[in-house]
Amino acid sequence: MTKPKLFGYSDKLSVKPGDLLQFYVNAEGADRVEARLVRLIHGDQHPSGPGFMEEEIDCEANGTWRVEKQVTQLGSFLEVADPARHLALEKSLTVFAFICPTRPQAGWCQSLISRWDNKEGCGFFLGISEAGRLEFTVGQGAKIDRLEAGVPLQANSWYFVAASFDGSTGQASLFQEGVLNRYNSLLSRVALVEHHARAAGRLQARQKNLAGTPFLIGGARDWQNDRGQFVSQLYCGKIDRPGLFDRALSGEELDQIRSGQKLSSHGMVAYWDTAAGYTENGIGDIVTDAGPFQLHAEGRNRPVRGQTGWNWSGRNDCFRLAPQEYGGIEFHADALTDCNWKVTKAVKLPETLRSGAYAFRLRAGEGTGLGEEYIPFFVRPKTPKSAIAFLFPTASYIAYANERQSFEAPVTQPVTGMPAVLSEIDIELAGRSDLGLSACDHWADGQGVCYSSYRRPIVNLRPKYRSSSANLAWQFPADLSVIAWLEHQNYEYEILTDEDLEREGVSALEPYTCIISGTHPEYYSERMLDATEDYIASGGRYIYLGGNGFHWSVAFRTNEPWVMECRKFGPAWKTWDARPGEYYMATNGQKGGAWRAQGRPAQKVVGVGFISEGYGKSQFYRRMPDSYHRTVSWLTKGIDGEIIGDFGLAYGGAAGVGLDRCDPALGTPPHTKLIASSGGHTDSYLVNPEVIHYAFEGLSGSYDYRVRADMAYFTAPHHGAVFSAGSVAFGQALPVNNFDNNVSRLLANVVDAFVRPGALPGSWWISEEKQWR
Amino acid sequence: MTELSQAQRTWRNPLFAWDSAQEVEQLPTASYVSHQEIWERTRSSRTELFKVGRLRYYHKWAGHGQSTWRRSRYWPTRRRVLRIRGEYNDKSLRREKTIVDKRPIWWVVGLMVLALVPLITPERLENTLLTAGVTFGIYAAINLCWMLVIGTASIFSLATYAIVGTAAFMTAYASTMFGLPWWLLPPLGAIIGLIFGGIIALPATRLDGFYYALLTLGLNELCRVYFVTSKEFGSATGGLYGAATYLPQDWSSTGQLQLAYYACFTLMLLALLLYRFINGRQLGRILRIAPEKREAFAEATGVDFRQARVRVFLISSVGLGFIGGFYSANYGGVAFSIFSFDTVLLGLAMLVIGGIGRAEGAVVGTLIVVFFDKVLITLGPIRLIIIGLIMLFVVLYLRNGLFGIKQQFRTWRDKKKSERRSTRAEKGGEMLPEEATEARNPDDVYRRRYDKMQREFLKKLVTPEVINEHRRAPQGQHSESLERLLIYFRNQPQPDKYAISALQSTNGYRIVALSGHRGVAPRVVEDKIYRSPVEAYHGVFLRRVQDLLES
Repeated sequence: MTKPKLFGYSDKLSVKPGDLLQFYVNAEGADRVEARLVRLIHGDQHPSGPGFMEEEIDCEANGTWRVEKQVTQLGSFLEVADPARHLALEKSLTVFAFICPTRPQAGWCQSLISRWDNKEGCGFFLGISEAGRLEFTVGQGAKIDRLEAGVPLQANSWYFVAASFDGSTGQASLFQEGVLNRYNSLLSRVALVEHHARAAGRLQARQKNLAGTPFLIGGARDWQNDRGQFVSQLYCGKIDRPGLFDRALSGEELDQIRSGQKLSSHGMVAYWDTAAGYTENGIGDIVTDAGPFQLHAEGRNRPVRGQTGWNWSGRNDCFRLAPQEYGGIEFHADALTDCNWKVTKAVKLPETLRSGAYAFRLRAGEGTGLGEEYIPFFVRPKTPKSAIAFLFPTASYIAYANERQSFEAPVTQPVTGMPAVLSEIDIELAGRSDLGLSACDHWADGQGVCYSSYRRPIVNLRPKYRSSSANLAWQFPADLSVIAWLEHQNYEYEILTDEDLEREGVSALEPYTCIISGTHPEYYSERMLDATEDYIASGGRYIYLGGNGFHWSVAFRTNEPWVMECRKFGPAWKTWDARPGEYYMATNGQKGGAWRAQGRPAQKVVGVGFISEGYGKSQFYRRMPDSYHRTVSWLTKGIDGEIIGDFGLAYGGAAGVGLDRCDPALGTPPHTKLIASSGGHTDSYLVNPEVIHYAFEGLSGSYDYRVRADMAYFTAPHHGAVFSAGSVAFGQALPVNNFDNNVSRLLANVVDAFVRPGALPGSWWISEEKQWR
Repeated sequence: MTELSQAQRTWRNPLFAWDSAQEVEQLPTASYVSHQEIWERTRSSRTELFKVGRLRYYHKWAGHGQSTWRRSRYWPTRRRVLRIRGEYNDKSLRREKTIVDKRPIWWVVGLMVLALVPLITPERLENTLLTAGVTFGIYAAINLCWMLVIGTASIFSLATYAIVGTAAFMTAYASTMFGLPWWLLPPLGAIIGLIFGGIIALPATRLDGFYYALLTLGLNELCRVYFVTSKEFGSATGGLYGAATYLPQDWSSTGQLQLAYYACFTLMLLALLLYRFINGRQLGRILRIAPEKREAFAEATGVDFRQARVRVFLISSVGLGFIGGFYSANYGGVAFSIFSFDTVLLGLAMLVIGGIGRAEGAVVGTLIVVFFDKVLITLGPIRLIIIGLIMLFVVLYLRNGLFGIKQQFRTWRDKKKSERRSTRAEKGGEMLPEEATEARNPDDVYRRRYDKMQREFLKKLVTPEVINEHRRAPQGQHSESLERLLIYFRNQPQPDKYAISALQSTNGYRIVALSGHRGVAPRVVEDKIYRSPVEAYHGVFLRRVQDLLES
C-alpha cells in the first residue's frame, strides 16, 4: 500500500480564539483523513534535545475530514472580462504588443495575447511557437491555420510584435521588429543579431469565437479530463502595452506604434496602457484599458508589474520616477501566489485556546504507510494579558517557503560545505512543481522569485522539518525551541506574528513589556521595522534572539498579507539579483534590497547586525570584559566560568549559522555593552560583502576578526532595553540538557529582568568610574 | 633557524602544473596547526576579573530637554555664574549637567556664614570672636594681596608687612600731626604703598627667588628698626596712637566691634575683588603662561612677563598701602609688632596652609591661623606650636596646601591604578574589565582578544621552512602557513605598518613605518639598505616575524 500524500494550507496564519479558519487539503491516495488540533511545543528532533513535542487539543473539528485531490493553476497571466464580446472579433483584426521573452524556447507554445480555446482549436492568438518563433494562429475547430516568423526570438531582448489579419481575404502578416536601446536588453548593437522579421501569407482558416473563451494575455484557455478548464500556453517574459484593432493595420501604421507614437483610434478595440494607474504607493493587479470599451485586465498569480518597459532609458531606476518607461509586466509560467483550492473544512476555533503555535495534524493510512501533514497557524490572545510575547517571524517563513536550493542552486553545497541531506518530504518536493517557489529560488526562466505566499502548502513551515541544505532545524521548527524553553521555564507568554506587526504596527507590541524575536527574522517590511524601533524607543524591552535579522526590505499589500514581495540586489549575499532598474517593489513603491543599503542597518535598532554566515560547526561565546560592569553583570549571574553555549542543536554551539556583530560605524548605540563574543570560526564563515568594499585573501573565519557573534545589551529611553544574542544558533542551544544550561540561565536572567516593570537592574551603576585598579 | 625543524610536511604548489618554469613543485612546510585550537583551549582569563562600575548615589541634573538654557554672567564680566558642562552619560546616554567648578557655591556659602557671624555669636564669646574677626578680615585682605605677589606674579617678596606697616605709620603720623580725617587715611596709605612698592619693585626685576626673599626680609627688618628707633613714630610708647578712627566714640563697645567687624569684612571683600580682577583677567592670564622657572618659554612666545610681574607687584602694593591706611583708621594707630618677624612668619603660615596661588587658600589659611592664634588664646604658647605642626604637616605631605589635596589625591589614585594594572594586565593581552570601561569602541576590545589568540596561533607557524620559503619567493603562490602569516601581517592597522622606501641616490631600498596619520610622513626604522625590492620584502617579513615572536 502506497503512502497517502497529504498537503494543506489555511487561509490565515495569525488568528484569535473563536475565529473562523478555512483549511484546504489536497490528498493523493486517501479520501479521508484523521484531523486533530495540536499545540506545537518543540519541533527539532535532534537527539540532544527533548525531541518533537505537541499537545493534543479538543476541538469540534477534530475527527475525520473528507478530502480529495485538488488542482493548482500555476503561472501568471492577465484575464479580461468581456461580457459584451467586444474582443471576439469576427473579421479583420490586428493584435500587437511590445514583448521581451525570457524563455522563448520553453518547450511549449506560449500565448502572448489570446482568445483561444486550445481544446477546441477555436479562436485566435498571437504567441511564440515551441521553436521560439513568433506565430499567429486562427482556428475554427476542424481547421486551424498559423503563420510563423522566420527566425526565433532572442531571449531578453525587446521586440515590437504584431499580427494583422484581413478577415475577408484571409491575408495575414506578421510584424516583428527589435526595439533594443542601449539599456533595455541583454545584447547591444555590437552583436550582429537581426531582430527584424516579416512574414505574410493567406490563411485557410477563420477564427471561430466560442462564447466561453476568455480573453487572456500571457496564456490561453485549455481543458483536461482530470481538472477541467485551466490556463495553458503560459508565457515567460514581459509584455508592454498590448492592443487590439478590428482592422488590418498597415506596415506603416504598425511602424508608428513601434516608434511609440500615439495610436489612431480608428478601429481600436482595446489598448492596455500597462503604465497607467501607478501610484507612489505601489501598483495593483488591474491593468487599464485606454481603448473605447475600458476592458481592464486583471492579473492572476501576481504578474510582476512596474518592471522596465521597452522604452526604458536607463536614466530612471523606479517606476515612480518615469512610469512611462516602466510599462513592463512580467509573466512566469511557474508563478503561484494562491492555490485557490476548494475549502476542505472551515473550522471555528475554540474560544478557550491559549495563545501559541497550533496546527491541524492530518493523518491517513497506518503503520509504515502513514501519511501525515501539519497545517500550522498562530493563535494570538483575544486581549493581551501576559508580559512576554514571542514574535514568530512569519515574513521570513514566507520568504523561505518551499525553497528548493538543495536541488537547483549550484552554490548551495559550496555555501553549506556539505551534501544536502534529503528527507522524504524534500524528495517529494523535488518531484513536484505545483507547490510554488520561495523568494530564494528562480523561476524557470532564470529570474529571481520576487513573490512568495502562504496560500499554498509549505513543507518547511512544519514542525520536525530539517533544512536539507544545512541539515538543521531552520526557521519555524528552530523557533519552536524557544517556545519549548518558555514552556519549560513556566513563563506566562503569548505569541505574535510578523503579520500582526505589519497590520497593526507598534500597537501590536505595546501591550507587552518584553518581546522575544525568532531565531532568524531576516525579512522585514518597513512597517514592521518601524514598529520594532518605535517599541524600543518608547520603553519596550526587546530580546533579539537571532542572527542575520532585519536584513531584507520586503512589502505586503494591506489586504493580501499572504503575499510577500522582495527584490534582491546590491552587495548583500543573495540567491538572485534583480535586473537593473527593478529595485523597487510594485507592492508599495518602496525600495527593495537590504535595509543596510537604505540607511537602516540592524545595528541601529538592536545593536548588532549581520557579519557572517557559515555551516557545519558552531562556536561558543566567551564573556567579554564589559560583562563585568555592574550595569550588566546581572546578565551572567549564576553562570560559572567564562564560556557560554559550547553546545546546541545547531552544530554543537550557540554561536553559529548566522552571526551578528556590533559596529558603531553602522549605528550600534554608543553605550552598548558587549556581554560575550564568539571567535575562531571556521573558514565556512565569510565576511558579509556589505561591509567590505574590496575582496582579498583572508576574509573568512580563521583570518578576519570581524567574523564573530556579539552578544550585546543596551538600555533605551523610558526604561527600555535590548538584549541581542547575535547568532541564529543561540535559540537552538536552549533545549540542551533538558533546558538546564548556561544559555538558558542567561536568557532567563534577561527575561526575568525585562518583565519586571520600572528601572532595570544595574541602572544605578552609571557614574564615571574612579578606578583603583 | 638554519636547521630544519623536525616535524615537517610537504606543500605541493597547485600552480606548478600551469607554470613549471617559474613555480616550484613542492616545498617542505610547517606541520598543520588548527587555528581553532587556541580558541577551544582558552576558556578563562589568566587573571581574576573583578566587577567594575560605580554607583550613582548622588543627584545629577538632567539636560534642559526642549526648554532653552538661559546662561547668565557675573556683571560686568564675561564669566558665567557657574561653569557647567553638558554631557552624555557613558552608560545610559542620558543627558547630564556637571558643575565643573563648584567654588562659587562654596564662596557664597562661606561668605554668608562670615556675614552672619556677629548675629549668631553667643554673647559670652562675642568679644573674642569679633576681635578675632576684625583681625581675620584685615589679615585676609593683606594675604590676598600678598598672594597676588607670590602666586600670580611669582615674586617671593616678604616685604608685605613692611609696606602695610609703613603706610600705617605714615598715615597715623599724618593724622596725629595734621588732623587728617579717617576717610583720607586709606587713600593716603595707597599712595605711600605705591611709592614704597615702586622702590622695592626695582630689585625684583634683577633678583631671583631666594635672594629677593632675603632682600625683602632685610627690608622689613630695616623698617622695624627705623620705626622703633624714631621718636616721631612713638619709640617710647611701643607704637603710634591717636589717629582718627571711623568708629563713633559714643557707640557701645559691642556696636563698635560689630561695625569694625563688618568694615574689615568689607575690606576683605574688596581684596577678593582685587584678587579676582588681577588674577582672573589679562595680567593673571599672561602670568599663568610664565610660571617660575619657565619664563624663557613665555619670553620666547613674546610675553613680557617682567612688566606684568612689576605691574602686579605695584597694584598689590597700592592695595597693601590702602590696607595700612585702613589699619590706622581701624585701630586709631599702629604698633611696632606689625614689622615683627613672627608676624611675617604667621602670615607665611597662612599662605602655605591654604595653598599658594588660590584666593580660597589665602582666606581659609588666614582663618585657621587666626582661629588658633586669636580664638584659642587661652591655650597659651602651645597654640603657636600647633600652628607650626599644621604647617609642618602641610609642607611635608601636601603638595599645594589644603586646597591641593583633591588634585594630589587623584594623582595618587592614578599612580596606584597603573601600578595594579601593570601587575594584572598582560602585554598585548585581552583587556581587563577596568580597561574596557575606558575603551570607546567595543570593536577595539574584541580586536585585542582576537590579536592575542591569532598571534599565539601564528607563532606556531613560524618555522625555518616557512622563512626559507619566503626568502625564495616573497610573492607568488605560498604554502598555507606562510600565507596565513602574510595575511595577518598585511591586515594590521596603518600606524606603524611597515613599508619600503625606494632610495634613488643609492639605488637601494630601506624599511620604513607608516604613521597612520595624514600629514605625518613615514619614519625610517633601520639603516640597512637592501639592494632589491625582493630582499626588502624579506627584510620586512623578518621584522614582522620578529615582532610577532616578541609579542
